[in-house]
Amino acid sequence: MTFVHQEVWHWQIATYLFLGGLGGATFAISAIIHLFEGCDRKMVSVAVMSSIAFLVIGTVFLLADMLQPLKAIYALTNPKSWIFWGVVFINFYFIAAITYVIPLLEAWPKLEPFIRKIPEPILGLLERFNNLAALGGSAAGFLVAIYTGLLISAAPAINFWNTPALPLLFVISGFSTGAAFLLLLSTFSDNEGAHKIASRLEQLDAVLIVTELIILGAYFNFAMFLPTGARASAEFLFHSPVFIAGFFVAGLIVPLAIETYSIFFRGHGNEGRKSALPILVASSLVLVGGYLLRIYVLKAGMFQFPW
Amino acid sequence: MARYGMVMDMRTCVGCQACMAACSTENQTPFWSEKFRTHVEDKEQGVFPDVRRVQLPRLCMHCENTPCLSACPTGATHMDKNGIVLVNYDRCIGCYACCIACPYDARYAYDGEDVDKERELYGKNVSHEMPHVDKCTFCVQRLAEKLEPACVATCPTHTRIFGDLDDSKSEVHKLARSGKAQPLNQGLGTSPKVFYIPS
Repeated sequence: MTFVHQEVWHWQIATYLFLGGLGGATFAISAIIHLFEGCDRKMVSVAVMSSIAFLVIGTVFLLADMLQPLKAIYALTNPKSWIFWGVVFINFYFIAAITYVIPLLEAWPKLEPFIRKIPEPILGLLERFNNLAALGGSAAGFLVAIYTGLLISAAPAINFWNTPALPLLFVISGFSTGAAFLLLLSTFSDNEGAHKIASRLEQLDAVLIVTELIILGAYFNFAMFLPTGARASAEFLFHSPVFIAGFFVAGLIVPLAIETYSIFFRGHGNEGRKSALPILVASSLVLVGGYLLRIYVLKAGMFQFPW
Repeated sequence: MARYGMVMDMRTCVGCQACMAACSTENQTPFWSEKFRTHVEDKEQGVFPDVRRVQLPRLCMHCENTPCLSACPTGATHMDKNGIVLVNYDRCIGCYACCIACPYDARYAYDGEDVDKERELYGKNVSHEMPHVDKCTFCVQRLAEKLEPACVATCPTHTRIFGDLDDSKSEVHKLARSGKAQPLNQGLGTSPKVFYIPS
């Protein structure tokens, strides 16, 4: 039995996985908040445009890692492959997100002349199906986020990846980074409701981090007690200072502590911009932690060969 | 229609690596980048003083249940009518999903630099005109001419035995059927068509 570190997918794919989770989750959370809580259209439009940008950049990283990116359209051939479904989810996401965001862009006076160039009947249709696009895009965003985990779990000889815990970990981490990104955005908003939304997002992120910790506990418990490549991978991560200090401590524990303090001991109401610093720190740490998680999960992938 | 397979007799392999050289020459694989379709693993077994060296030749197992084929989004990886797992170079986008899915380390990237080097070495007679993921084909071009794969024809110790697993008269059929030869990593359920007689 030989354990060999995979040398196939590197930081480019980790970036794609991170931005896929972040983009999908940012859209899903912001559209759901917009639908059910209501918040200012400027903030939602910035969030949605950012989420589209994340997925575009992520896709560029994926294509840049391919040997023949110009033939990428062939990826829509084999439905047994997760990449096939990734392409479907991402394209569906793009259609829904663009349909959803165009009417929202009217909130920006400088963009209004461009929006007005769209024929009235089409604009009317976009307005009419705005809620549907929000829900459809949220579903697609969720699927993109979970797909990033499903993609790498399709590796029968990499025991650490080939587990149902990995897609769960990636989707929860993706939503945590999405909530953190929206928290960051909320600190730039002057809108009255922004603080209320920030408070909700903080609660959501704290719950997601706790869930992530539970999944991590189950995941490592599974990995450490199996005499396979999964244990070798888990041991590799335990001995990686950047993973422990950067992801686990700085990316999960510290933001959770800041958010818990903020939720229970510090009000948002009248403190205004004074309360922005802890949010900025916690959100940035969650985002960096989310990226480190993907980088290190890929690094830790070990083939278990039978020789 | 056949169901081609191979048996490796590990009792006789001396680790001369002639199979690797023959494969490289036949299939223009990038030996200059140390990438091969077939390898010979040189393993040490036991604890001193009871130790020995074991050679394990390996290549694509041409699995019946192919994780690489399922992972390939483009359909570039496919199985021909004789059960040989092949890559259609024109359709391969080089996403490496198959390399990640393969439990036998049987695939590698024939990248742009390799294609340039191949052109430099072989001129117009190149087999790999564009970057793609590469793997063993059981030398389909030789099979079409009723020849054995290059590694089998070259092996000086008759370690590699090739034939139709469905042909009851073939040596591979008898060895695989008798249980004397077993596939690697059976627990994965990939049903490899390469079998090993332990040393």
